[in-house]
Amino acid sequence: MASPSFLPAGRLNLEIRTNLAMGRQMLILVGAALIGILVSAAILVAAGVPFGELLSEFVIQTLLDPASRQAVLAQAGPLVLVGLAGSVAFRTRFWNLGLEGQMIWGSIAATALSVFDFGPPGVRLPLMLAAAATAGLAWSGLAFYLKERFRVNEIISTLLLNYVALYLLLDLLYGAWQDPKDSFPHSPQFRDFERLPDWGWPIHGELLLALLATVAVFWLLSLSRFGLYIRFVHENKGAARALGVPVRAVMLASVLLSGALAGWGGFIITDVQEGRLTQSFFDGYGFSGILIAFLARNNPLAAAMVAVLIAVLFVTGQSLQIFYQIPFSMVQLIEAIIVMTVAASEFLIRHRLRWVA
Amino acid sequence: MDSVLELRAIRKSFAGFAALDGADFTLRRGEVHALLGENGAGKSSLMNVAAGLYAPDGGRILIGGREQRLGGPREATAQGIGMVHQHFHLVKPFTVAENILLANPRGRFSRGIETIEREIAFCTNMLGFVVDPHRRLDSLSVAEQQRVEIVKVLLGGATIIILDEPTAVLTDEEADGLLTTMRRLAAQGTAVVLVTHKLREVTRYADRVTIMRGGRHVAACDPKTMSTAQLTELTVGVALPSPVREKTARGELRLIVAGLRVEHETGRTALDGVGFQVRAGEIYGIAGVSGNGQSELVGALTGTTAVAAGDIWMSGAGHIADRPPAIRRSGGLAAIPADRYAQALAGGLSITDNYAVAGVMAGRYGPWGWLDRKAMAKAAAAAVRAFDVQGVRGLKQRAGLLSGGNAQKLVLARELAGDPVLIVAHGPSRGLDARACAAVHERLLAARARGNAVVLVSDDLDEVIGLADRIGVMSRGRIVAEFDAPADRQAIGRAMVDHG
Repeated sequence: MASPSFLPAGRLNLEIRTNLAMGRQMLILVGAALIGILVSAAILVAAGVPFGELLSEFVIQTLLDPASRQAVLAQAGPLVLVGLAGSVAFRTRFWNLGLEGQMIWGSIAATALSVFDFGPPGVRLPLMLAAAATAGLAWSGLAFYLKERFRVNEIISTLLLNYVALYLLLDLLYGAWQDPKDSFPHSPQFRDFERLPDWGWPIHGELLLALLATVAVFWLLSLSRFGLYIRFVHENKGAARALGVPVRAVMLASVLLSGALAGWGGFIITDVQEGRLTQSFFDGYGFSGILIAFLARNNPLAAAMVAVLIAVLFVTGQSLQIFYQIPFSMVQLIEAIIVMTVAASEFLIRHRLRWVA
Repeated sequence: MDSVLELRAIRKSFAGFAALDGADFTLRRGEVHALLGENGAGKSSLMNVAAGLYAPDGGRILIGGREQRLGGPREATAQGIGMVHQHFHLVKPFTVAENILLANPRGRFSRGIETIEREIAFCTNMLGFVVDPHRRLDSLSVAEQQRVEIVKVLLGGATIIILDEPTAVLTDEEADGLLTTMRRLAAQGTAVVLVTHKLREVTRYADRVTIMRGGRHVAACDPKTMSTAQLTELTVGVALPSPVREKTARGELRLIVAGLRVEHETGRTALDGVGFQVRAGEIYGIAGVSGNGQSELVGALTGTTAVAAGDIWMSGAGHIADRPPAIRRSGGLAAIPADRYAQALAGGLSITDNYAVAGVMAGRYGPWGWLDRKAMAKAAAAAVRAFDVQGVRGLKQRAGLLSGGNAQKLVLARELAGDPVLIVAHGPSRGLDARACAAVHERLLAARARGNAVVLVSDDLDEVIGLADRIGVMSRGRIVAEFDAPADRQAIGRAMVDHG
């Protein structure tokens, strides 16, 4: 049967793409992120933020005002670390959803050194960093052990271990570690030599740490032999094993590194922002880490850049909270929308719509 | 002349590569029509166009003499065209009846399942085989799953049935059974397309053959009027010489396997006391009907399958039965596994990464902290040239984009680099066309000539007889007989089944 004449002759074909140039992929991803931002803007306008204010007040202010620029960078440090933590674990398809639990453990371990006044002041800070990394990796290593030994799915175990860590934290803050000075549920103030040094904007210990971690992870994943092994494990575990790649060791290393980075992330929030352990310092970072790794496609350099953009979102979200009484969960809503639009854009990377005459 | 399907000047490109370049094909009522060609000749692409899966870039499709445009597999089914793919499209946890009902709805589910069961019984009766409609798909053998696919397509009302390389997964006996059934179907008026690259099937079962090369049709004729040499020449362009096995001196012992036992998780014994020896400069062939322990033997040798008891000694690596693959490989073991995409290559990684990984592990491309990417790329480029890996647009291209034959050449290039002590090859030419197959055989013989020891496990008896110096026949997890070359085909065949 001939098609009616008012319809165009031809049809839309859905085809599978075999290969798409890197540049085009980036274009599609950025386009998708922009759509997500537009949708988010519409929601903010609906929530009562005047449209004209959105761009000028928040985005431009955040980037041009020195104080908020500093806040963005301060925010970026821990986000870079959790983003790297996510990327490293996801590279071996270990779905570490326990970044927050590992952050909490990192902070608890570092704070313990302060509470018990352990070690001479000169090496206190390095000791705290080591303790944070060790506690973080122990917590992610526990999930790895459960997976290897008892076949417990890590998505479940890492997620639930977050709650174990959280309630331990609350127990400490409402109990043994409660600040005796003001009886608030937070630990006593860190001493000066326990805080990361600030050599004047923008050279802050926190940023140096984030930068160092980024470079180290980049080296490990892209330049070292371990990087090639991890790519094989990611792509085809069976072939990797048959080729003699130490699959278990590679996975264990990536899981432990992920936990250590998250532990550091937790510690620097505690150390830089309040200078003491608080009960919700980790809020939103776990999900952000996953989001950053996802948007950066587990690439450490891209993760660092995405982390800075998310930091802008965090700082903007804080001003929204102050000026428009918009809850901070709006930030998480925006993150979720961007994840969805970017995830949906995968379809266009793998497929193509084409008009066939 | 009664042509039920005609494809004229079909063109189809994928990412700039012309898979079909003006292909023609004519199918008549009641015939078994073989579509013959090398890997990548465009056979499957052309049939996917006929089945409505690919929209052609150009050309015409005539069904029953009328031009049609197929908007998808559903429309092709409505026109009476059904295709059985190489990789089955079946839902594993469903029963046979549920799978068939899913593709061919029959009203309400509860009523439909009864209807479809009656139809299945009727159809299988007619075809002369048995399929239990209540069995779950994952409890069926590959041959049985294929029957389900055929019944599914026929109950969809197909008068044209396309089988894409149907015998690739079957034993000789199963293949003969299937093709006899197809002949019977054709005698009742169905048009059958048999996509294949096995000449034997073409000459024995097809009424006509269309030969394709490079995305075009080169000839259509009655295969009975052609000699095998003529058909081969039409398929590959020039006649290929069969491999020449020169006499070599056998050297020292390279592999001793003794009393090897492997057990499945289910407790079934897969290997039951396997023992044999292989010397340098020798190809030891293992023949047998597939599923008699060959995969487990290869796994035990390469270190991917756990050994329950027994000993494997390899010169240069010592007793390796319980050592991980890395130790074996650093001792000089090379492996060419049966499923190259699952066991030998990381499809998402580049050709360079896939080639160089073995050398990286041996420390040939820099220390732990540094990968010498330039040297890796250079070595990969040289290997791609030396082993004639085609379809490489760049070394950064994903290995998964290589066709079967070229992927296998890449694996060979990696595994045969250096001077392996022992090569374990499992079905190295499976799924490859005549030219790629010849290249693989040539490489194995060259390895033998330079003094490597080779264990060749293959379901293809001709391959084993053509290459091996000694042949062990496997049956029920044991080596039941050994033959020296030149071996008697009949005697081997008897050994394969007598103990089975």
